[in-house]
Amino acid sequence: MAWNNNGGGQGPWGSGSHSPQPPDMEKVFNLAKEKFLSKLPGGQVWPAISVAVFFLWMATGIYVVGPDEEGVVVRFGRYVETTTPGPHFHLPYPIESVYTPQVTQIQRIEIGYRSRGRANSDVAAESLMLTGDENIIDIDLSVQYRIQEGGAANFLFNVRNPGDDPHNAVRNAAESAIRQVIGRNDIDTALTSGKEKIQTNTRITMQEILDSYKSGIAVVNVQLQQVAPPQEVIHAFKDVASAREDRERSINEAQGYKNDVIPRAKGQAAQEILQAEGYKATKIARATGEVNRFLALLNEYSKAPDVTRARLYLETMEEVLANTKKVVMHSDAGRGVLPFLSLSGSVATGTGNVPTSVPPQTQGVKP
Amino acid sequence: MNKGYQTGLVVLIVAVLVLLSQSLYVVHQVQQALILQLGKPVRSVTEPGLHFKIPFLQDVYNFEKRLLVFDQEPQEILSSDKKNLKVDSYARWRIVDTLKFFQTVRNELGAASRINDIIYSNLREVLGQFTMMEIVAGAREDLMARIRTQANIQSSQYGIEVLDVRIKRTDLPMENSKAVFKRMQTERERQAKQYRAEGEEEAVKIRSTANKDKEILLAEAFKTSEEIRGAGDAEAANIYATAYKKDPRFYEFKRTLEAYQKAFAADTTLLVQPTGFFRFLQEAQP
Repeated sequence: MAWNNNGGGQGPWGSGSHSPQPPDMEKVFNLAKEKFLSKLPGGQVWPAISVAVFFLWMATGIYVVGPDEEGVVVRFGRYVETTTPGPHFHLPYPIESVYTPQVTQIQRIEIGYRSRGRANSDVAAESLMLTGDENIIDIDLSVQYRIQEGGAANFLFNVRNPGDDPHNAVRNAAESAIRQVIGRNDIDTALTSGKEKIQTNTRITMQEILDSYKSGIAVVNVQLQQVAPPQEVIHAFKDVASAREDRERSINEAQGYKNDVIPRAKGQAAQEILQAEGYKATKIARATGEVNRFLALLNEYSKAPDVTRARLYLETMEEVLANTKKVVMHSDAGRGVLPFLSLSGSVATGTGNVPTSVPPQTQGVKP
Repeated sequence: MNKGYQTGLVVLIVAVLVLLSQSLYVVHQVQQALILQLGKPVRSVTEPGLHFKIPFLQDVYNFEKRLLVFDQEPQEILSSDKKNLKVDSYARWRIVDTLKFFQTVRNELGAASRINDIIYSNLREVLGQFTMMEIVAGAREDLMARIRTQANIQSSQYGIEVLDVRIKRTDLPMENSKAVFKRMQTERERQAKQYRAEGEEEAVKIRSTANKDKEILLAEAFKTSEEIRGAGDAEAANIYATAYKKDPRFYEFKRTLEAYQKAFAADTTLLVQPTGFFRFLQEAQP
């Protein structure tokens, strides 16, 4: 109270400005207490405190909904409204309170396996299921889901999941749906062409289930991570695949054989025919040639048959006898010792001898 | 006196607060309440919000209003074709009548055992009428609806509504699984054998067709070539004949001469008489 004695300079102005300052709250309380207890007129301080407390209380009702959230306001536990991202106000506790679940965040659950870092561990109880043709198949899938747009209230108020498993509703729906869908397919479809359809149908079935609970959950995606025969029989399945390859291989090999043999045979056939054609052409050509030669000669022959005939004969004989050994016999000397004149010497030594001796003879014949 | 006034004020405020806390209660959106008056249920409150009750005389019991899950342990069930199935199911239920619920099962824990009995008996009964394949595949949805309906009738006495019963897993027990694996394996082996045999069949067909085609091709070629050769021979003969017909004697003469040329090789020895070509040899000795 030192400043009170010091006079008006700091006096009432200072005290007035001092009291509402939050850092000095304790001091103010003490001061108020003192004043109250000392029966000073406390009416000036109490309303100010009340107003401040009231405003502070009201200020607790200001809240901000993040861009990935929706605000759900309840008044005395009763749902009032859903608010969009941005700053908002609700009546302070205990009248109203707000929940701000993240609605855009996508949750992911795994069925049939659990990923731990890079390695996946299989959960056989979840992944083995029966197909429509009484086979067992091993399916792993992942499900992505989020809170439906505007569905935050439904999400919060309609379905209770066990505390230790916030994904319980989705997980159960997924397990039920995938088995329902697989139960309608046979194993070969599931293993090969049907994956796309199975994914879609599972998603649709899950959504139907979750909608029937008004769960406020939207299934974004269902992905089959692995569709395989069970470990126990995987070898047999792989062997079928390789058998199919073997079949193709056998056929290809046979086709290869065919492709090798047929063209060769065709070539051979063509060769034979062409040879025959060649033969035919040759024959005809030779015949025509020979005949033409003959005809040409005949033509000349018919003009002078005797002379030509003699000439041809003599020329031929000359040529023939020039190269042969000859034994000339007298026509009457047939029955005694064979009288012969060997001409072989002259024939053997001289092609030159004959021409010199022949011309006089032929000249002698001609007249 | 002032002190007494203050004390009185404080007492009054406390009294009012106590009274309010005893007469006002909040039912949350996810809850419903049952009001008991001196232990006797008087009314149930399903509307969320702020409510009043008679202070001190009445008590409020809160119950869950949300959909709850009942996840059952897998049960072995016999299908109509006498196959043992391990059925894992779950149910979604909610409390619809807090009074009945409170009177019969008291709380969720009590409810769970009743629901277990109800679901199990209905599962047994309904699934027992169907074959394994119907349970696994075709009739699944129908089955679940039937179980739900029956369960619902029985659960209503507990103030419980069963909204959904779903079969999660319908798997064969271990020994049956082994049999199925064995069958799957043999089935695949059969398929593999068939594929291989089909390949062999096809290959043999292709090979023998190729061989056949080859033989035919070659025979056809032989036939054609012989025909062509024949035609060639015929035409040549015709050409010869046509020409030589003009003077057969000259032909014979000419051809004979040609034949001589070929017939007598260099080292042939001819025994000739002095006639014809050699007749002039004799003219020297008349």
